[in-house]
Amino acid sequence: MTDTTDSELFDPAGIEWQPVSPRLATARFILLAVFVGGPLVVFAVLGAVLSTTWPWIVAGALAVLGVLVALVVGRQVRSIGYAERDEDLLVRKGVLFRSLVVVPYGRMQFVDVSAGPLARKLGIASVQLHTASPSTDANIDGLPPAEAARVRDRLASRGEARLAGL
Amino acid sequence: MSTGAPLPPEPSPGAPVTAGLPDGKDTAPDAQADLEWRRLHPVTPLVRGWAVIAVAIFFFGQQSVEGMAAGEGAGLPTDSWLLVVGGLLAVGLVVGLFSWLSWRMMRYAYDADAVHVHSGILFRQQRKVRLDRLQAIDVVKPLLARFFGLAELKLEVAGGLDSGVKLGFLRDADAARLRNALLARAAGAVEEDGSAPVVEAPERQVLDLPVGRLVGSLLLSVAAILLLLAAVGAVVATVVSGNVGVLAPLVPGIIGVGAFLGGRFTGDFGFTGAISPDGIRLRRGLLETRSQTIPPGRVQAIRLRQGVLWRRFDWWRVEVNVAGYGLDMGSTTQASTVLLPVGTRDDALRALWLVLPDLGTEDPTSVLHAAMSGSGEDHGFTTSPRSARWLDPLSWSRNGFAVLGRGLLIRRGRLVRSVVMVPHERTQSIGVTQGPLQRRLDVGTVVLHSTTGPVIPQVVHLAVHDAGVLVRDQAERARDARKHAGPERWMEALAVGEAIPEAGVPEAEPLARVAAPQPDESPVPPAPGPVGEAPR
Repeated sequence: MTDTTDSELFDPAGIEWQPVSPRLATARFILLAVFVGGPLVVFAVLGAVLSTTWPWIVAGALAVLGVLVALVVGRQVRSIGYAERDEDLLVRKGVLFRSLVVVPYGRMQFVDVSAGPLARKLGIASVQLHTASPSTDANIDGLPPAEAARVRDRLASRGEARLAGL
Repeated sequence: MSTGAPLPPEPSPGAPVTAGLPDGKDTAPDAQADLEWRRLHPVTPLVRGWAVIAVAIFFFGQQSVEGMAAGEGAGLPTDSWLLVVGGLLAVGLVVGLFSWLSWRMMRYAYDADAVHVHSGILFRQQRKVRLDRLQAIDVVKPLLARFFGLAELKLEVAGGLDSGVKLGFLRDADAARLRNALLARAAGAVEEDGSAPVVEAPERQVLDLPVGRLVGSLLLSVAAILLLLAAVGAVVATVVSGNVGVLAPLVPGIIGVGAFLGGRFTGDFGFTGAISPDGIRLRRGLLETRSQTIPPGRVQAIRLRQGVLWRRFDWWRVEVNVAGYGLDMGSTTQASTVLLPVGTRDDALRALWLVLPDLGTEDPTSVLHAAMSGSGEDHGFTTSPRSARWLDPLSWSRNGFAVLGRGLLIRRGRLVRSVVMVPHERTQSIGVTQGPLQRRLDVGTVVLHSTTGPVIPQVVHLAVHDAGVLVRDQAERARDARKHAGPERWMEALAVGEAIPEAGVPEAEPLARVAAPQPDESPVPPAPGPVGEAPR
């Protein structure tokens, strides 16, 4: 894929993107293994035990799906980036369906930091910004907890400084 | 800010509860001791309880009607009627008791900055709503409450589901007085003696909806056409099969569509829109009447929309996003986001003017006409590139945006035309997305995130370069506009000459600029003759 035209839209000039932790890819691989690999094994065993074809078909479909997802996970994680500018936060993500969100600090209503059990084990957390609009999808997944806390605090203080009404 | 001087005592609904709490059991956190606590009108539990019984009767009635329609004989056997009536009475009694208790526990008070409400029987709740955060005030009078001369006051604030406050029921006059007092305080209006004025701000009516047009608009709606198709289908099916029973499956659908149309009719009946210093005043309703006040600067986005069926008469529907209204699926709240149920092009422009008196452009009329029915790049519009015709063959040359001084104007759709305007200072955040097909065609979609509501402002399939420039510049424009935005208490803005229309002024000077489009300038000639006006 060429980046000549996209660079303009999803990579505005003069912006230094912060990547997220590659451990996010690990987390997603583990989830993939559990939710696709698990059933795959079950169906394969089922197919072997019952010696019928249909479980094999399901297993095959799952295997194809798993491989396809596995191929993009790494690139997906690498595509996630965020940048803190003076007045706003930029978050971009996506490989096939790309998106970029610009959130002015003054529009921020609250910030969430969350981490599930797997994420905690791997040492990552996700930061989500909320504005008054539910469609603002400013979610940075896969930050190291210390960085997440730092981002949260900095966003909160910047938001306070530039507070605006609705 | 106005002073914290307590209001001159007003005759209050029921006996005013003194600052010492009514039963002495409730030890509320103090520093509110100087508030004058009031109760709702004592008939409230009766009205509320009755509503539940009515709902029960309705459901029961519907069940038996549907049962009959489904050919299950004549509903219930007669000897169970006594049981049913007894059951309803029992339910009514329990509900009535509960409503009475909750009426006992509900108290409200207000001061210069906030409305305080205490409520709850087992789980007590104390809510304080800051008046400078007030997004809108509705006065709702359900049919039954109207018999008693009662009204419910709804204070909307931004804050998700179940935010805001409902004060119901109050006597009509009390509700009106309370609304005026709250609006005056929310506006930061202060009289010479330091107290806030309690008189109603003067208003000037600028929008109305003749019954004929309302009926016409409903007949020319998708729902009505579905109904017609269903009716035709039913007749054909009956004739072909010679059996009335085949109609049964259609009945719920017909009832549903009919109820929708009926709800629209009664809900929007007698609609009027007016402008006052307190903001936009909307009134509507045949059975349940609703009178809304949306203060200036509370509208987050506005959309003018015209389905293909309405084009012949050039009718438009205007909807807005207001943070407090949200998108609750209840039909009543859904109606409150409608700024104009159906109106001519002039009406729609006037509705837009209510929200944004100044668009910040030299020639608003022609820009807006271009937005409503034009296409191409005239009047400062940036449209999708030619490559976007693969994604949107019909309207690619119409889809686009124009940057005006006060907001972003977005044009979309050829069959269903829509025009969206987002004031720059109301942009929450900006997003841009690109799918694989769009990437191949070098286009992207830009979305301005707005608060929850019917309007979703997005510019689809812009050329990558245009999208990038729009995202970059719009962020900047939004930032600048926010710096110069008026204060939350809008009356304070008047002192510094903010562009808020004066309602008391008899001649419509700013109105003439937008809302009186010259027919000869209009890109599309208006529908011949006063078609839209004539009741048919």
